[in-house]
Amino acid sequence: MRCAEVREMIPALAGEGEPSLSMRRHLLKCRGCRGELETYRDLLASMRALEARPVQAPDGLAAKLIAIPSEASRVDQMRSHVARNRAAYAGGAAAAVAVAGAAGALLWRNRERSSGGSRKPSRGWLAAA
Amino acid sequence: MRRPKSGGSEAPRELVSAELVERCKKGDEAAWAELVEATHREVYSLCLRILRDPDDAAEATQDAYLKAWRALGAFRGDAMFTTWMYRVAANTAISKQRGRKRRRDHEVGGDDEMLSQLPSAASTEALAGARIELETVEAALRLLPEHYRAALVLRDVYGLSMEEVAKELKITETAAKVRVHRGRKKLKELVTSEQDE
Repeated sequence: MRCAEVREMIPALAGEGEPSLSMRRHLLKCRGCRGELETYRDLLASMRALEARPVQAPDGLAAKLIAIPSEASRVDQMRSHVARNRAAYAGGAAAAVAVAGAAGALLWRNRERSSGGSRKPSRGWLAAA
Repeated sequence: MRRPKSGGSEAPRELVSAELVERCKKGDEAAWAELVEATHREVYSLCLRILRDPDDAAEATQDAYLKAWRALGAFRGDAMFTTWMYRVAANTAISKQRGRKRRRDHEVGGDDEMLSQLPSAASTEALAGARIELETVEAALRLLPEHYRAALVLRDVYGLSMEEVAKELKITETAAKVRVHRGRKKLKELVTSEQDE
């Protein structure tokens, strides 16, 4: 095997798998490729060691995570309450719309009445005159 | 800090007991607090190593724990809890990364461009035998393009199998192997060039 072929396989070999016989033969006689393999093995060992070296989590993050069950249950309770009372909420919303509509109609009628004096006289008024 | 001699891609270490997980599954909030205390730094670190941004990582961590709390009942315990939690966190962080990528796709200059501006790698012979500092590796990981970084973090830092990496990244196993392979090569170039300066 040539160095170029071996080196192409080294990143995978360092992480998983065993070298083939021809590769082992090459590695035995080639110091450069052995060095390359050792470098990748060092690199992978360092990467694997990072797991055991977590970074500092931001202040307050743990408290937020610990609060998740109570927060989630509060949201779930709210959702199930809404789901259970869907008919009542829908009825309430419909009633609110009806009341608002009635109030609007009443206001409109009152405004019509109060502005009635300044309008053109009706035919009945003309006839009376 | 020096790297330990043993390498490879062995499974993640277990951070919590099966008994603690069982208590959490029953809704025990004190057990949940204990579980969070034991695992949140690792989970936050995983999210940060994928996303790089501390605010995004904190947000992803919260989303991951919320998902975990809701899905705990489905956790059967045939895998390690830590592996399961890492997968939930990786899934959340990668989804966030995808969303973020879509938002900034119009920006000029990607990670590949940044990589091409880095100094060229030193010779292998110069580095052979040298032990690689964890800080150097952590810094080099941050410089990797996103698609390589996520694959490498999951495979080589957290020890997920190639099949799990492929599943999390929503790619084929062959594509995952290619990403890990290329990612290792790029990371080695980065580490070598940093050590050479």
